Amino acid sequence: MTDTQAGTLNALALYGLALLLAAAFAAQLVLHELPCPLCLLQRILFALLAIGPILNIRFGPRPSHYALSLLTAVLGAAVSTRQVLLHILPGDAGYGSALLGHHYYTWALTGFIAAIVLLAAMLLFDRQFDHRAAPGVAPGKFAQGAVWLVVGLTALNVLSTLLECGFAACADNPIVYELLKQAS
Amino acid sequence: MEFTALFLAITIAMLAAWHGPRPVAIGLFAVILAACVATLLHHATDRLTLSF
Repeated sequence: MTDTQAGTLNALALYGLALLLAAAFAAQLVLHELPCPLCLLQRILFALLAIGPILNIRFGPRPSHYALSLLTAVLGAAVSTRQVLLHILPGDAGYGSALLGHHYYTWALTGFIAAIVLLAAMLLFDRQFDHRAAPGVAPGKFAQGAVWLVVGLTALNVLSTLLECGFAACADNPIVYELLKQAS
Repeated sequence: MEFTALFLAITIAMLAAWHGPRPVAIGLFAVILAACVATLLHHATDRLTLSF
């Protein structure tokens, strides 16, 4: 795998993360399900996963960039495991609605584990680290679009979380946008 | 409030990774990751009831 091919795969990973962040927004806006604190933390860690691919696209693939994403994915798996365990008791209906039989935090755990496996698989290809693109070569429109999409969705989450939590600690089981409630 | 700050910090770290110096982006990443660990530990103080 060349560094160009690795760059394309990193851009694809960013589109995947953008799709995930957009799906979380869709659940929030369409189903009117406000994310709980642990749900927000998982969303934050999915956004943080994007730093590694952005660095790979800009500076060329490096093992240290993949390591950033690996550390994030491990922490994300820990957070989602924590939430799965909170609702593991028989008879517990879980938090929020289920998608294809699994709650969002269970899907998040699956996503973080998949990220760990995919990152490990990417690290198997040594040749991507041998042929670094010349500095100053601008990434293509495909990669630029992926970066700006994920940056935009993360920025929208700043606004959404501010509306949900206001300037205080977020509610454990949020049902209204605190900032909108204060304004009305 | 801490979640808004974390999302804002990640947006800034992404922009630093895309436009700024690499050490700044990695430094910001480290601070955010540490803050996420602290947030998890804060929320992990709730009682965890297990089925066994």
